[in-house]
Amino acid sequence: MISRAAKEHIFAAATRAALGLSVCILAFLLGAIIVRGAQAISLDFLFMPSRDFGSRGGISYQIFGSLLIVLTAGLIAAPLALGASVYRSEYIKNTAAQRLFDLALYGLNGVPSIIFGLFGLILFVNIFGTGLSWFVGAVILAIMMLPTACMATISAMRGIDTPYRENAYALGLTREQTALRIIIPQSLHGLVTGLLIGLARAIGETAPIMFIATAFSGAGVPSSLAEPVATLPTHILALAQQAADPAALQNAWGASFTLIALVAMFSLAAFFARARLLPLSQR
Amino acid sequence: MDFTRPAPPSGRALRSYFLISALICAAICAVILITLLGQTGPVLSHNPASLFGTVWNPNLGQYGIIPMLYGSIVVMVIAMAIALPLGVLTAIYIAETRSARLRGIIKSALEVLAGIPSIVYGLIGVAYISVWVAKGLDLQTGRLILTAGLILAVMILPTILTLTEDAISNVPVIQRENARALGLYRHEVILDVVLPHARRDILAAGLLALGRALGETMAVMLVIGSLDRLPSPIFNVLSSGQTITSKLGRELGESAFGSAHFSALVLMGLILVLITLTLTGAAQWLINRRPNGVEAIYD
Repeated sequence: MISRAAKEHIFAAATRAALGLSVCILAFLLGAIIVRGAQAISLDFLFMPSRDFGSRGGISYQIFGSLLIVLTAGLIAAPLALGASVYRSEYIKNTAAQRLFDLALYGLNGVPSIIFGLFGLILFVNIFGTGLSWFVGAVILAIMMLPTACMATISAMRGIDTPYRENAYALGLTREQTALRIIIPQSLHGLVTGLLIGLARAIGETAPIMFIATAFSGAGVPSSLAEPVATLPTHILALAQQAADPAALQNAWGASFTLIALVAMFSLAAFFARARLLPLSQR
Repeated sequence: MDFTRPAPPSGRALRSYFLISALICAAICAVILITLLGQTGPVLSHNPASLFGTVWNPNLGQYGIIPMLYGSIVVMVIAMAIALPLGVLTAIYIAETRSARLRGIIKSALEVLAGIPSIVYGLIGVAYISVWVAKGLDLQTGRLILTAGLILAVMILPTILTLTEDAISNVPVIQRENARALGLYRHEVILDVVLPHARRDILAAGLLALGRALGETMAVMLVIGSLDRLPSPIFNVLSSGQTITSKLGRELGESAFGSAHFSALVLMGLILVLITLTLTGAAQWLINRRPNGVEAIYD
């Protein structure tokens, strides 16, 4: 029988060991990415097109392709998320209907990313016959961003004090006018933050776009909506599969570092947007 | 020159815009399920009995999904067996030391980790973890079920740690004070009072992490070795394997649309999405449930 005091010590030691291990894992991951990435990064690498299936040269077209797809996705998702959030927050008053809508959003949020790729492959590439198209990739990523953007916007709308709505109605504004003049301007920070967080996630996604929107090599600037582009995540995938070649691996680390820098950029933008765009009334 | 403001959109137009966007958002999930369901026909009419077999050989018309289902579950179990105790113990340390600075540092580091794309975890798996496993266990290849489980454990650790820490921090201080006043040791306070109080949120965190682990594709696909067979003996995690997601990632591009092969893959995808939706739904239900009885008094 171990005494209670001894158990106390064992338990404390276990939690300390767990913390130590977690911190080691954390430090290893960040260290590996930063050290290996920093060795691979140079101005040439960032601004030159790739050669020899990516194992030589840079990643300029991959950066361009990734930004093109996610920014288009953001433009598609923004109006949908805004409209849906207004409807959810200002029009649906029935609790059961609210729950159902939230459930649909959470469900969409829980769908694995490869399933979005499968969905896009079936519906757009094959049934609608678009073939490989960066625009289809943008549509799919827009769908993936919707739950994040909607939830952030809805919660911003929930934060608007009731007197704002009561005053608007007292002045004779209709529900639509209230939404347009009061609700949307007062909750814009939620939409922008949600979209930026969605963008930060979308730009790192590989599985949804690998079958429907990207080409592993030889893709440049597309001249129409129905052409594939090269992207950073799919480029890393192609290079990781040639991991025996040190030059390819080096470029994979460089591309990973660049990708994480882009993710961090969108995340930081979201952080500042939340602070700067918050309406005066809610500060 | 006309300096008047443009006329605002009519109420009816605005209203229909709101309604249509809401309908699109609410319907997409169902549309995805129906689209997938619509493509499962060929394999179901072709040779449904072979689906429950252990042999995957499209050339012979055999589409046994058992090896993939097994792989998904085993990889998930390994990941949870490592990440759950590690995450919960670390969360206890962070929450109970009550050091705001430590908490802040770890929280922001975790947010960085959660933002690392899964393909980068895959690269780390290929470049480091699979090499270590191969060397450490003296095997020819490090692309094993075990390796996939290890990399997944690392990937779901931030999710478990953040959510569990929130759950533990949310337990009212009065609960701890009462337990301490009764003469309980610190570990007894945590194990017998704090954790039971936070159990629902911890369970929800576990379910969300399970869903993530099951749906993870890129990292698993790169390190699992892609072998469509059950390992022998059955619990040999030091053999290559295949999960549903890695199977989809490897073969969707190669199979012809509308073929039995393609529809077998879609069927696996449908099974996967139904499992993850159930897990997400259960987690959400746990989080949203209102506390009752004694807990309600203190919450």
